[in-house]
Parts: sequence; structure tokens; C-alpha cells
Amino acid sequence: MLSHWRADSTGNSSSSKIQLQIGDVCCSVTCDDEEVLGNLGQLYFDFLSDQPVDFSIDLHIVQRFSSHCIAEASSLGNIIRSGSNILVAYWLTDNESANQNHTVSCTLERHQFNPHFDFKIMNLLLPLSYYEACRTRYSNGCGPMLVHSCGIIRHGRLMMFSGPSDTGKTTIAKLCGNEHGQVINDEMLLVSGPDKDSDALMVQGVPIIGGVAQRLNVSAPLACVLLLKQSDRTALNRLNRTEAYLQFMRQVIAPRDFEGRTKRAMLSQVAEFSDMVTNVVPFYELEFTLNQRALWKTINKLEKSLGREGS
Amino acid sequence: METQIVRNEDLVWRRIEDEIVVIGNDGLAVHMLNKSAAYIWEQCDGTKSPDEIAVGLCEHFEVTPEEARADVQATIDKLEGMGLMHKTEGNPVQ
Repeated sequence: MLSHWRADSTGNSSSSKIQLQIGDVCCSVTCDDEEVLGNLGQLYFDFLSDQPVDFSIDLHIVQRFSSHCIAEASSLGNIIRSGSNILVAYWLTDNESANQNHTVSCTLERHQFNPHFDFKIMNLLLPLSYYEACRTRYSNGCGPMLVHSCGIIRHGRLMMFSGPSDTGKTTIAKLCGNEHGQVINDEMLLVSGPDKDSDALMVQGVPIIGGVAQRLNVSAPLACVLLLKQSDRTALNRLNRTEAYLQFMRQVIAPRDFEGRTKRAMLSQVAEFSDMVTNVVPFYELEFTLNQRALWKTINKLEKSLGREGS
Repeated sequence: METQIVRNEDLVWRRIEDEIVVIGNDGLAVHMLNKSAAYIWEQCDGTKSPDEIAVGLCEHFEVTPEEARADVQATIDKLEGMGLMHKTEGNPVQ
């Protein structure tokens, strides 16, 4: 069953904050730069929320990091880098009231919100915030997990195309267009384990920026996972469970958060989640080219066989 | 005192059907243990000596006691060399 949630027009926000829904978690984003906040609101329109906030991101935009800011954040280990470039200096606030959510205050340089940069810094902050909120929202800290993948809904079910960067997730989304399915995101998806009412894994779109414009806050049951392999031909190979597990777990976004779980805790959660997913849905390795016709002919054939397996 | 073999408990591992996948501390290295190595791995909980594990291997797989002892020793040596387990000196837990 497809479900589609959208905030009403009075939705989430005051003039200085927006609230975004990531699965069951609501994350508020405040910013002292109204232009940046306005742009974020447009980018994430489908995810605007009026739900109670689980976690808050407070963005403070500066022209340049001060040396004092960097020194203080560095001494606490609160720096997010890309190579040698510092992207974010942050401070986590533990609110004393049990009713208040946690807040992370982030200082960023203005140029990172240059439109040509596509706001990808939020692709770093939102998963961290999601997993941080999961620490308190889920009793064992484990909830649905984010997976590096492209999701396309066809005939009411989602096909997940997964793989590291440059394996073709965005290409698959572009080859899909509007004709071959509904792309909900070409960069990342949120996967929930089966609940008491259903055996199906549910997949939800998330406010993560990929290479295509679609970012939809819709969910659908997971039909299968196709692990992408660049090739000079179009072919589909069913993977055994071990092969699927080894490849899939590398695409699960490790549950890093601002406070820093132990590496063992993170790996353990990834291992358990990957075990669960590979136990429930079939996995395939998809070799493909830019031949759109061959690709969707192969996918159509797969769907027919999945339909037979499911009946 | 008998030597017991202990898995490195800092490592994350899971049984996937007949095999065991051990994830290295860096989260990148992955070690695959086949059926017999997986059995040996699961037995290395610090309560059994290599000889006791070999007896169990004989019972679970169609191998002679000599083959079992050699297989256990070779597997333990290899996994110990990779930092996945280590030996301890102590009496087996009764």
C-alpha cells in the first residue's frame, strides 16, 4: 500500500524554522539566515511537518570560521570535514527538561549554501540528526536505517537500486523518468523492519538531496534489492544470501550520531539490519547500460517472476 | 592449565546460513568463514581447548580425529594471526 503524507499549508514553520519528517522522526531546522531557510523549505517541501520535534538543528551561518570557533570545536572533536576542508563545527546541547528535545548548534560558512553546491551539507547533518534522535526514540537505539540507494515505486511496490557512488543510481532514476515508475529518491532511502501487522519491509523517501529533483515523502513495501554493477550489457543475476549480505551491508549508512556511538555498536547494528533485510527480500546484481529499453524489459521480466513467487 | 581459545569480542560477526561473516574493527575488512571454520569460530568461547573443539568437529563433520585436530589447529593459527582470536591459559569452565 502506498502512503503519502504532506504537511498542511499552515504546517510546520515559523519564519525562522522549518520542521522535517524523516520516517517517524521530526527534525526542526532553525537558521539565522532567512534566505537559506527559505531555500531549504523549498527543497524539502514534501517533508515539511507539524509533528512534535524529536531533534533540532540550529544553523549559524558565518562568512568565515573564526579561529576561536575552530579551536573550541576541534578540542571537543566536534568537526565534520570533507578531506582537509572543515564543513561544520558543532555543539550538542543536552536540554535539561525531559520534555525538550536535543539540539545541535552548527556553524557553517556561507559559501556552502551556494546554490551550485546544492545544499549537500544537509545530506551530512540530517542522517546524523536522524540517528541521534533514534537514540532516545527507540528503546535500544535501533530503528529504521538509511541505505545508500535509489527507490522506484512500480505497481505499488518499491524496487531498491543500491550501490556506492558512481555505480548508476542517478542514471537509473533518469532512465526511469515518469514513464517507468515513480522515483522517490536517487540517493538514500529509509528502510523499516517488518512490524507486527505485516511481513513486508517498508521503504520511505527521505529529505536527502541526490542528482534528480524528486524527493518524495512516500512509502511502499520493498519488493527486491538490485545491487548495481556498471557493465557493457544488461543482465540480472540472483545473489545468494551471503553475497547479498556482503554487498548490502556496505550500502547501509552507519548510525553515526553527534555524541558518537562506539564503532562496535554501529557495526553491530548494521550487521543485524543487513541480516534482517537479506533474509526477507530477494537480492539481485543488476548489470546495465544506458539502453533504457533493455533495462526496463529486464525489470519487467523480474517483476513478473516476483509476482509468481509472491502468489 | 589448559589453553583455551577466545574470539576477539570487540569484533562484530554474524552467521549467514552456513558461513560466518566477521567484520573488522575498521568496518571495512570482512572475513568469511566456511562451514568448518564457522563451527570452530562458534566453539571458541573461552571454555574449550583445541582438542575439545576437534572432538566436536569430528561429530559434526565426517572427518577423522587426526584431520579434525589438524583442521582446528590450522584454523586457530590462521585466525589468531589475523587478530580475530587469541589463546588464554586457564581451566575449562565446568
